[in-house]
Amino acid sequence: MVAAGSRCAHDAVKITSGRNERTNLPSSQTPLPGSCAVDPTSVRPALDDAEVERVERGDLRARLIALRQAGASMLLDLGAVDYLERVPRFDVVYHLLFLPVSGAKIADVACPRRMRILVGISADDAMLPSVVDLWPNADWAEREVFDLFGIRFEGHPNLTRIQMPADWEGHPLRKDYPVRGFVGEATPRPSFASKSNVPAGTPPSGRVAEALREQVSRATEKSS
Amino acid sequence: MEMIPGRQFFLARLDEVARWAQSSSVWPLTMGLACCAIEMMSVQAPQYDIARLGSEVFRASPRQADLMIVSGRVSRKMAPIIKRLYDQMADPKWVISMGACASSGGVFDNYAIVQGVDTVIPVDVYVPGCPPTPDGLLYAVNLIQQQIRAGGSGGLAVRA
Repeated sequence: MVAAGSRCAHDAVKITSGRNERTNLPSSQTPLPGSCAVDPTSVRPALDDAEVERVERGDLRARLIALRQAGASMLLDLGAVDYLERVPRFDVVYHLLFLPVSGAKIADVACPRRMRILVGISADDAMLPSVVDLWPNADWAEREVFDLFGIRFEGHPNLTRIQMPADWEGHPLRKDYPVRGFVGEATPRPSFASKSNVPAGTPPSGRVAEALREQVSRATEKSS
Repeated sequence: MEMIPGRQFFLARLDEVARWAQSSSVWPLTMGLACCAIEMMSVQAPQYDIARLGSEVFRASPRQADLMIVSGRVSRKMAPIIKRLYDQMADPKWVISMGACASSGGVFDNYAIVQGVDTVIPVDVYVPGCPPTPDGLLYAVNLIQQQIRAGGSGGLAVRA
């Protein structure tokens, strides 16, 4: 594939006899810095090719609307990060892709513009405007962020838990969430985990527990 | 079962014949939970061929299944569903807890995973391994058959 005039700033790929030097990389996910494939099917675009922009919460919605109108037609992902001790505590990250329109140059198809929007919010006022009306796929992503981080999205049509059971308490991906759950939510332990005198081959469970109790009482009778 | 010399028939007790038939057609429930399910699927494939034990018919309905193979970690959200499926299975029914996660939570000692499916439903055979080899699962089915032939009705725990 021959490089057409490229908007993408990384045309530094040397093409020798039709072979792309980047195909010799150990992994397509560790590209050379500042390089980008010209052949859209050869390797993934460089990971550092996204423009990163940090916005204030009040400006977020207006900025995203502007980007949507400017051609950011795809919301690749919407996630959150908990930095716990930082102020503000959370970052919510919007990954945007400017899908090439029909008639786009091959270089634009190979290396479409990507953008990452970061917005910081604090735990005591974890609320953001929803973007479901801009990108419908934000629906489940925002529910997931709400479920796991407790960040609310104003204007979401159905902000309910999506992964954890509906009656769950707490938000497990917060850094201060105990890994085994709170006391009330702690996962039940198998009964044999707390016993050391169980005969090999018969972990008590369900209906067996009764039989095992008999077995143990018989054994103690014998020994006494 | 007893063969009468020189005659064309066997003598047998009816319940023994019934158990023999029952143990030779232990139909599992089609239910895969995680990576163990991949091993469970290969048990059904030609190399291991669970059909030799009469258990190749994985049923899509719990009403038609005799055996539940808990093949993978059981999440807290899945546990009530597994309990419900188990309750929907007709008696007598058997449960194989396949692998470390189903038996004890395995490496997933966290808020989301049930630490052993036997906190939810009674288990008959535990198969160790992460994941167990298909042979291990075959042996577990074999143990279930032995339990049936010995007159067991499920809920008698052994380790494979």
